[in-house]
Amino acid sequence: MPIFTTAVEPGLPARVVTRVGRSAVTAARALADVRTWLPHLVPQMRRLGVDSVPIALFIATFTGIVLALLSKYIFTGAVPLYFVGALVGKTIMMELGPVLTGLALAGRVGANIAAEVGTMRVTEQVDALETLAYNPNSYLVVPRVLAGVLMFPVITALAILLGVVAGWITAVNLLDLSTLEFVKGLKLFYKFKDIWFGLIKAASFGAAVTLAGCLMGLRTSGGAEGVGRNTTRAVVLGCEAILVLDAFWALVLL
Amino acid sequence: MKRGNEFLVGLVLLLAIAAVVGGALWLSEANIGKRETVHVARFRTVGGLTPGAPVTYRGVRVGRVEAIRLADLFVEADLKIYTGVDLPARPAVIAASQSLFGEWAATIVPRDQPQDDPNVRLMLDETARPGGDRWPGATLPDVGQLTAQAGRIATDIAAVAARVQSTFDSSAVTELRQSIKDFGAITNQLVRFTQSQTSRLNQVTGNVERTSEAVLGASQHLDATLARVDSATAGGQLQAILDNAAAGSGDLRQASADLRDILSKVRAEDQSIVRSLIAVDSVLTGIQAGQGTLGLLAKNPALHNEAVETMQEMRRLIADIQANPRKYFKFSVF
Repeated sequence: MPIFTTAVEPGLPARVVTRVGRSAVTAARALADVRTWLPHLVPQMRRLGVDSVPIALFIATFTGIVLALLSKYIFTGAVPLYFVGALVGKTIMMELGPVLTGLALAGRVGANIAAEVGTMRVTEQVDALETLAYNPNSYLVVPRVLAGVLMFPVITALAILLGVVAGWITAVNLLDLSTLEFVKGLKLFYKFKDIWFGLIKAASFGAAVTLAGCLMGLRTSGGAEGVGRNTTRAVVLGCEAILVLDAFWALVLL
Repeated sequence: MKRGNEFLVGLVLLLAIAAVVGGALWLSEANIGKRETVHVARFRTVGGLTPGAPVTYRGVRVGRVEAIRLADLFVEADLKIYTGVDLPARPAVIAASQSLFGEWAATIVPRDQPQDDPNVRLMLDETARPGGDRWPGATLPDVGQLTAQAGRIATDIAAVAARVQSTFDSSAVTELRQSIKDFGAITNQLVRFTQSQTSRLNQVTGNVERTSEAVLGASQHLDATLARVDSATAGGQLQAILDNAAAGSGDLRQASADLRDILSKVRAEDQSIVRSLIAVDSVLTGIQAGQGTLGLLAKNPALHNEAVETMQEMRRLIADIQANPRKYFKFSVF
């Protein structure tokens, strides 16, 4: 029995399958057009990644400080204080480093992409690209998504490093904890999985945030008001995607 | 601008890669450039031991747990040991929790080292039984198991305490007081009894002491007697007595031989003896029947009385003769 016929409107499952197939074909075509997106990859990595390093490091630094102080507050009593190192390390590597960095970049990068692409859409620059025989997905979406996938783990790695260092400095200077004790706690429960788990999550967050920005940007309509509205939607969608993916990876990988 | 972008992106990428690789190696205490050898330890169960857990020998980290897998009835753990570590000749592995917070480690111990825990000895024997190049392993109880056991014990103690509380009411207190009083009375009686027994024991001791002195005196007398005997027999008297006894014994043997000769002669003459006895028997029979003089004498009282009287007269006559010889005998030479 055919899924749909010319005489009958296709049902929801058929439409979903059709859309997924169309998106996959579009993505494959866009990815295959390397000559279009490759020149824009490094500039996007610079804009989305390198320029986001300060805000990510700022967040990670204070996250490390607060975690160290919180763990000292929590561990007063039966739990030995060197567990501050374990808590700071584990928490920043596996959860707070990727998620807080992702949320911060969802605001900065997602809004940036949605506003830029949305403005291009409402000013018909996207149509102009099509007129010039450019695939707008190759030109606009692929370099941004690839830049996000590549640079989010990089920024997250630096954020993890700085967060742990900030926690260590805080523990040594404010918590009467020696460096050896902090390092002992840091190494106590460490597994290599802790690092790659955080980096995989960060890569998926990068893909989700940039895709949400591009999607909302390309769907923008209604002038400047529509740009603002879809920018907000892009940020919200990016944050939601981060939280959903965080739960998904925790279920799958832990 | 384009070159500047590439430089910045490359710098950030290299920094991130350095942070990830360097941090991972540092945290995992990887030994870059050091070679490692893999040894397999066999356990019945590995408890909380996981891949990446440290392997220690005499308290020093010498490697890590590389992998853990099921193998027939046992669990096998691959232990990566740094080369150059001087391991015991017959190693065994004990997996145990390092602290209350769940960190586990595998500790290498010499197999010959005596283990206090009988369960550990049992597990080591069990895992060593299949042989091969696998190291035998044992697992100590987890902190959680010990805590659960302690919890059960605490529950039991609480139950016992509750029962004691329910049993130990006011009447029990009264009975306990009465028991204590009774116990005091028994103690006083026991003290008095002990005192009386002590005085008796003292008397007995005195008696024993005196008896001992008497025995000592007797012993001294015996010593003196033995000394006298010794001195008396020092001149060969004892030898003479023994010689005399030997001679007497010889005489006795001779007499015995003579007696045997007599008996043999008697046996040879038993016919004539029998005849003599028959004759004596006939004589005695006649006497008993009152035949003959002797029979009459034995049977007739008158004759017996006459004979007695005659004898009496004879004694009187002899006495008179002794008293008045001249009445009956007259000697004149001239």
